[in-house]
Amino acid sequence: MSEHGFSRRSVLGTLGVLGAAAATGALGRPRQATAQALGMQETLDAGLKRVFGGRPIKDAGGLVKLDVPLIAENGAVVPVTVEVNLPMTPSNYVKHIYIVADKNRIPIVTRVALAPEAGQAYMGANIRLGETTDVRAIVEQSDGTLLQAKREVKVTVGGCGG
Amino acid sequence: MRRAATRLRWLPALLLAAGCATTGSVGPDTSAATRTVPEARGDIRTLPDGTREALRYAGWPKTDYGRFRTYAYDDTRGEIAVQRGTVPAGATGDPKKGRALFTSRAKGPCTGCHLIPGDDVWPAGNVGPDLSTIADRRLTNEYLYQQIYDARVIFPQTAMPPWGASGAFTPQEIVDLVAFLQTLKGPRPPEKDADRDPATRTKPVGFGDNLDPTNNPALLLAEGAEQQWKVRGPSGKACADCHAGGVDVAMKGVAARYPKIVPRYSRVMSIEDFLSAHGPETTGTPLPMESDANLNLTMLVKMASNGMPVAIDTESVEARAALARGRAGFYRRVGERNHACAGCHTPEKGASKFLGGRFLGDVTSGLTRHFPTWRTSQNQVWDMRKRMQWCMTPLGMNMLPADAVEYAELELYLTSFDIGKPMNVPGIRH
Amino acid sequence: MSDIGKVRVRIPSSIKAGDVVRVRTLVIHPMERIERDAQGKIIDKKYNYITKVTVTYLGKTVVSFDTTQSVSENPFFSFAFKATDPGQLKVAFTDTTGGKYEGTADIKFS
Repeated sequence: MSEHGFSRRSVLGTLGVLGAAAATGALGRPRQATAQALGMQETLDAGLKRVFGGRPIKDAGGLVKLDVPLIAENGAVVPVTVEVNLPMTPSNYVKHIYIVADKNRIPIVTRVALAPEAGQAYMGANIRLGETTDVRAIVEQSDGTLLQAKREVKVTVGGCGG
Repeated sequence: MRRAATRLRWLPALLLAAGCATTGSVGPDTSAATRTVPEARGDIRTLPDGTREALRYAGWPKTDYGRFRTYAYDDTRGEIAVQRGTVPAGATGDPKKGRALFTSRAKGPCTGCHLIPGDDVWPAGNVGPDLSTIADRRLTNEYLYQQIYDARVIFPQTAMPPWGASGAFTPQEIVDLVAFLQTLKGPRPPEKDADRDPATRTKPVGFGDNLDPTNNPALLLAEGAEQQWKVRGPSGKACADCHAGGVDVAMKGVAARYPKIVPRYSRVMSIEDFLSAHGPETTGTPLPMESDANLNLTMLVKMASNGMPVAIDTESVEARAALARGRAGFYRRVGERNHACAGCHTPEKGASKFLGGRFLGDVTSGLTRHFPTWRTSQNQVWDMRKRMQWCMTPLGMNMLPADAVEYAELELYLTSFDIGKPMNVPGIRH
Repeated sequence: MSDIGKVRVRIPSSIKAGDVVRVRTLVIHPMERIERDAQGKIIDKKYNYITKVTVTYLGKTVVSFDTTQSVSENPFFSFAFKATDPGQLKVAFTDTTGGKYEGTADIKFS
């Protein structure tokens, strides 16, 4: 295992529209948000509509394996892993994996963009959940097909342990 | 504060050696009695309007629970006096209000220990009996009232808090609760979700490999202490100057023997306690309890014993006496809730059951060898003392300073159950 | 907090040419959440959180994450890449303050 710490460098001004839009979303004042911007506080329906424009999202069947705990001990750190059983060839590959938490204020949690060189459409991250909610993995293939797997995560709140 | 007496034995030598003179700026002067960061001292201050508030960690409740007894050895008050309650004459109970009180996080919630029907009931615990069909038992209103007001009248060994005797619930609130309970008749609705019922709920699976630095942030923070080990303090010395060979080598096996009675200070000390005294004495660098420096250095020192069996002294005369005091603390009923550690953490009572959503640890299985631990819910490293101090707040009790000898001897007692088991620091937990 | 930006990257101990390799990385970062005042109104300030994670292998971007405040503090990220040649794998993080942090791993075949 190797690692490398790096001291900060000043930004080169290339955060791009995603960075700017995300910062906008953080202040809760949507300004000229592009369809693809992340970090917006919005309802689930508004977010899905904005990002996917009403395109049909099919149930993935067994093709998308979404791994989340049944019960999360807290909403601060909830591990999510997605494994997609679909090709990753230059002409046909999984382009994006979206993680969505229906009841979060920022429901579109993260978007992973993949190149065919990734070899497999696979991702994992720790996410925040505000409350018990469905968590979805929405997968977009290079031809535009959208597939979804969904699981409920119960979030434990409170208790004498904190 | 009346606890200074237990610390004065070692204090003068320590102050003399360290040459420090801190000032307590609020409330009684506890600065001389403890070597912790200010928010870990357990100070209580009086506001201009006369109310008293506790100075605790950021985000912790500020309530002063001074009315109720603590773990302090010189706190000679008894537990809340057992009291027979009387149902107020002519009072009628509102079941709707009762249900709201039953599930209110501002109160118990009662669902922390007792399951009742309802899709909105999440997460209920099973430390106490399932009350879903309690009305079928045809208990009188007076009986149920007493059970809530002060259950010790009926069951002297109960873990149930004396909600009326302590004043946590008013008599009218208890009347409303009783009215609600009397509506809980069977048959119970079919359980749609096995996880709703604590008896059939999936047990927590934990947070993965605690020694994987791509999983446990505490490991990255502990690395910062490697620098601390080599840095020369105001006295011109570094830890490394006396403890050669690197932390791993110099400290190998050391932490496996803690907590222990440290003769120089005539008291039981954990690694954290010891560093808070030893650091200023040797390098001149302050290492107050609950500071990042103390926590990170403690992790590093303990990691040097990872995999080695916990091997504390439980045989010497002094150790036995300290263990007995720690055990007495473990079984001591304290706070507004009148709970003892034993009420939740022994197999006979609450261990391996759910308290709300929390799965209760069993002291006999050994609960200490992963401390200090990363806490995902806090995104912080917590040592055992902070964990104990936190338990105090829901119990309704003022906390003692992090380095209180009472906590140290309680920790000694808890650690006795880890003997022979491998150290595994830092943990990663909720 | 001086630990912000510390990165760890974990790769398997043995990699063969052509393997699809799973990698795990962790970064120390506050991922500041939106704060609200007593009335529930969002406190207007610049929140510091990671917005982008970019994985490059042999100089080409193979995976990237666009991230939000719904991602945890001190987050881990995992992903896969196809190990075709020995060379450098780099994971780069960018946050809203312009902070940039990196971790690397040398891909060697055994």
